[in-house]
Amino acid sequence: MSAERWKDDEALLESLRKGVPGAVDELLRLYQGKIFNLAMSILKNESDAEEAAQDVFMTVIRKVGTFQGNSAFYSWIYRICVNTCLMRLRGKRRNETVSIEEFMPVFTDEGMHASPMDDWSKEVERDALNEELGRMIRKYTEDLSEKYRVVFVLSDVEGLSNEETAKILGLTVPAIKSRLHRARLYLREQLSRYLREGKAG
Amino acid sequence: MNCKELAYMLADYFDGSMDPRLREELDAHLAMCDQCMAFTKTYQAVSDKTRLLRRQIEYEIPPEVRKRLEAFVHAAGLKYPEKIREYRDQVERDRREKVADLVRAAAAGKLSSAMALLMESHRAACPECRDYFDALRTAAAPRAGDLPEEIRAHVIALMQTLPPGEEFFLA
Repeated sequence: MSAERWKDDEALLESLRKGVPGAVDELLRLYQGKIFNLAMSILKNESDAEEAAQDVFMTVIRKVGTFQGNSAFYSWIYRICVNTCLMRLRGKRRNETVSIEEFMPVFTDEGMHASPMDDWSKEVERDALNEELGRMIRKYTEDLSEKYRVVFVLSDVEGLSNEETAKILGLTVPAIKSRLHRARLYLREQLSRYLREGKAG
Repeated sequence: MNCKELAYMLADYFDGSMDPRLREELDAHLAMCDQCMAFTKTYQAVSDKTRLLRRQIEYEIPPEVRKRLEAFVHAAGLKYPEKIREYRDQVERDRREKVADLVRAAAAGKLSSAMALLMESHRAACPECRDYFDALRTAAAPRAGDLPEEIRAHVIALMQTLPPGEEFFLA
């Protein structure tokens, strides 16, 4: 995480604790976009994400006095957000998600790739494809179950380290790495199919 | 190392946590296997593109949601800092009151023996406080509001040194 972010967080934390006027504005300025994005990626529904974001900010404002500072401020806020969203998901009918197994690579008994691999890494370097690719990555991650989705969003989209993601989700680092790896394998396969069909079409 | 083993080690390969010997083996396999080279490059492209296209992948907060959220947090958030401020102001007022009582008691010679002892040893070491309290004894009605900030700070520090359970004043 950048030094700039650390400095912003420290000043924000201090002014929230002191009840400085404008501290809440700063909290919103720095975090409402991130919290909404994280809530959306878990809940996949705008009105749920909005309500969850309200709950998150209420909790942050109420509990900022008891924040121990053992972890970074932003990771404390992310943890509150993840917990709030997962609580909301509980008891709710989950949206149908794809089975990630269907997108894992297939190998022969000898441990070799069972089907020919296409190298499309050069193809996606073209900037003209960016908008479409971004949309597809988002769409495919929406189909993942939240177990994988939230790890992928925190680690690969938000750029947190495996250790930070593990702390936020209350999981071990190996568990985070395994989920992240499977999410990437899934996306790799989805994008392969998409690009292959695109070419065929 | 075969293709299957390689595929399951790619996360370690890219985050740098891989054992150097295994990494060598993996590189050796990559150098002679086009299938794995294609697989590895496209695997890496997923991470690279995700990082690069972060803006497109993230959900943007709609303006009306942003507005509602701001209104909500303001309504909820402002009440709370208000309460904290009220509480802190009260604490400050209580403390000033207590300091004023202590100064009055010191002037009237009504400090508890523990407090009087602390005060004596402090006066011996601090000319400002000695002069101030000496002057008080001759003045008719000391007004705590006129207490210089420096003296106030010393008195507060003295009060905090008093062991818990000890009284400030004579009964």
